[in-house]
Amino acid sequence: MLELVHFQVLSAALFSIGIFGVLARRSAVLVLISIEIMLNAVNVNLVGIAAFSDRAADVRVFGQILVVFIITIAAAEIGLALAIVLRVFRNRGSANVDDLNVMKW
Amino acid sequence: MGTDAAFLAPVIPAVTFALILLTGRRVPAIAPCLSIAAIIASFAVWIYVFVAFLDDGAGTRSVEWFTVGGFEFTWGTTVDEISIVMLGIVSFVAIGIQIYSLEYLRGDPRLWWYFAVQSLFAAAMMTLVLADNLLLLYLGWELVGLGSYLLIGFWWERRSAAEAAKKAFVTTRIGDVALLIGFVLLFRETGTFDISTIITLAHGGVVDDTQLTWALLFIFGGAAGKSAQIPLHVWLPDAMEGPTPVSALIHAATMVVAGVYLVVRLFPIYRMVPEALDLIAVIGLLTALVAGVIALTMTDLKRILAYSTISHLGFMMLAVGAGAPGVAMFHLLAHAFAKASLFLGAGSISHGSGQTDIREMGGLWRKMPFTAVTFWIGALSLAGLPLLSGFFSKDEILLAVHTGRLNGGFLIVTFVAVAFSVLYTGRMLYRVFLGPLLPTNEAAHEPGSRMWAPIGIFALLAAGLGGAAFEWSHDYKGFVSWVTNSEEGFHLSTSITGASVVIVVIGLYLTWLVYVQRRVSSVGTRRRFGPLATIAERKFFFDEVYQWVINEIVLKIAALTAFIDRAWVNDIGIDGPGKTTRWGGSVLKYLQTGMVYNYALGMVIGAVVLGVVWWTI
Repeated sequence: MLELVHFQVLSAALFSIGIFGVLARRSAVLVLISIEIMLNAVNVNLVGIAAFSDRAADVRVFGQILVVFIITIAAAEIGLALAIVLRVFRNRGSANVDDLNVMKW
Repeated sequence: MGTDAAFLAPVIPAVTFALILLTGRRVPAIAPCLSIAAIIASFAVWIYVFVAFLDDGAGTRSVEWFTVGGFEFTWGTTVDEISIVMLGIVSFVAIGIQIYSLEYLRGDPRLWWYFAVQSLFAAAMMTLVLADNLLLLYLGWELVGLGSYLLIGFWWERRSAAEAAKKAFVTTRIGDVALLIGFVLLFRETGTFDISTIITLAHGGVVDDTQLTWALLFIFGGAAGKSAQIPLHVWLPDAMEGPTPVSALIHAATMVVAGVYLVVRLFPIYRMVPEALDLIAVIGLLTALVAGVIALTMTDLKRILAYSTISHLGFMMLAVGAGAPGVAMFHLLAHAFAKASLFLGAGSISHGSGQTDIREMGGLWRKMPFTAVTFWIGALSLAGLPLLSGFFSKDEILLAVHTGRLNGGFLIVTFVAVAFSVLYTGRMLYRVFLGPLLPTNEAAHEPGSRMWAPIGIFALLAAGLGGAAFEWSHDYKGFVSWVTNSEEGFHLSTSITGASVVIVVIGLYLTWLVYVQRRVSSVGTRRRFGPLATIAERKFFFDEVYQWVINEIVLKIAALTAFIDRAWVNDIGIDGPGKTTRWGGSVLKYLQTGMVYNYALGMVIGAVVLGVVWWTI
């Protein structure tokens, strides 16, 4: 049987994978993908809580509503982020995150 | 209005000072006219007040100035015998000096400034002598010091003049600190600065004895500074760097006697503290003697006169210490006119011949007979030649020392000091005026009327004021008793008077032998007194000692303080936090690597920490 804990473990695992990706990937696009994974991990967590909550049905649905919000925002943000990465790539010829270190001491 | 009008006397020159400051630079010719008009007006006020005083008696008038914490400070004038005499001297001598200055300083580019400060000085001095409370007196005291500084340093392009002005101000400043301490002590004990109230309270036994003693000693310290008593006398000879009329006015007749005036004014309380009077007498006598000895060795004419002034100020203080303030006032009066005429005469000599060194002078009576006569009158008056005013005043001093509160030893030393005053006078007179005319004096000539007229008037007064000493009527028992409101008449002691006449005659004869007939060699005499003569010529090494103290102690402490201020307070205390912050910043800047994933790592670590903290708490 499915339990809440399955959802939460899946969410935690996805989140960690996402963090690892953000910190350890060289390509900017892959960093964005990792951020996307983190967002989706949060979505999974919310859906799980919404499904297994003990409250009344019209209150339980708030989890799913929040998921819809997050998906929307994620989409908008990814569009913007990819536009920036595209710009950077056209300017510098590479999307390597290691090379983007001008704003330093 | 009567005696209440006295306040006009200082106010008129004060306003004139302001006026001259406003107009003097643009229209320089106005300045002397304004100043002289003002001082004549002040003298007119004096005449009016004097007549009113004779009719109505003494009077006080005061106006509120400001109030602090329930205590009221006032502008006030007191008109009594002492202040009337001082006011008369100040205004009259100032008139003569300013008229003399018209000729002496003709063509000077800063003439307007000279007359501005002369007005300021006159206003301040008159404020001082009329003041009814100690705070106002202190104000006048400081302002005359300022006037003296500005006038000594009038030709400040000359380094020595600027240094002399500084020396005068700093030395009297040391005295002024003591003066202020004394005044504040009195205020603390009596709750007021008003002089007559303080005297009344002190007589009533309200004031604690030790406090009173300390206050009076400190006040005398201030008087000693201003009146050039030993050891604070060192500024007066150097003050001769100023124009000669300044020396005549400030450093002979008026400012330097402010100390004597103060002690005389406060005599009713000084009388209650015998230790203070003893100190005054000792310092006064010491000053009279030492200055007289130094005067004998000086070669600059004005320096001789300066040391003579110091010596006579010592005599005045001695008279106070002997318990006879009226005698001190009489000598002050006689000395003022005589010394003023002497200084102005010296100015005539240097104006005409350009000489100030007596070794370059000789036989000047041939070229400047009028100056010679007036100079001799002034000098012999101060030496104590009978029938001139100085004879009577010196005689009164000797009498006061003999019959007053001082013991016999004082009289002997006083006679020695008197002897020296005769000796240096004779030397000066013979050297400068008698003998063959030296080639360096060819250019000497009598000055214009604006210069010889004041000299003549002062010399006449120096000769004739002796008459004031006598009892002329039942009401007027002689100057000394009139000035102190006492019943004692004028009297002479034949032994004292006889002894002083003998000293004068012998002294003049001895110097005659040395300097005129050349029978006794001055060089030989000097050699005989060898080391003593050297000490006297080097002015008893006061300046050297003071300079040593300044160099070794004062400047070293100043250097140490400067080091602490620079190295510790500034470099460590103030620059320190700044530098530390800068250093912190320069280290922390490396956190800004510019690489995004460093920042992301930071965020992750922060989130984890927060989570742990939130979970455990």
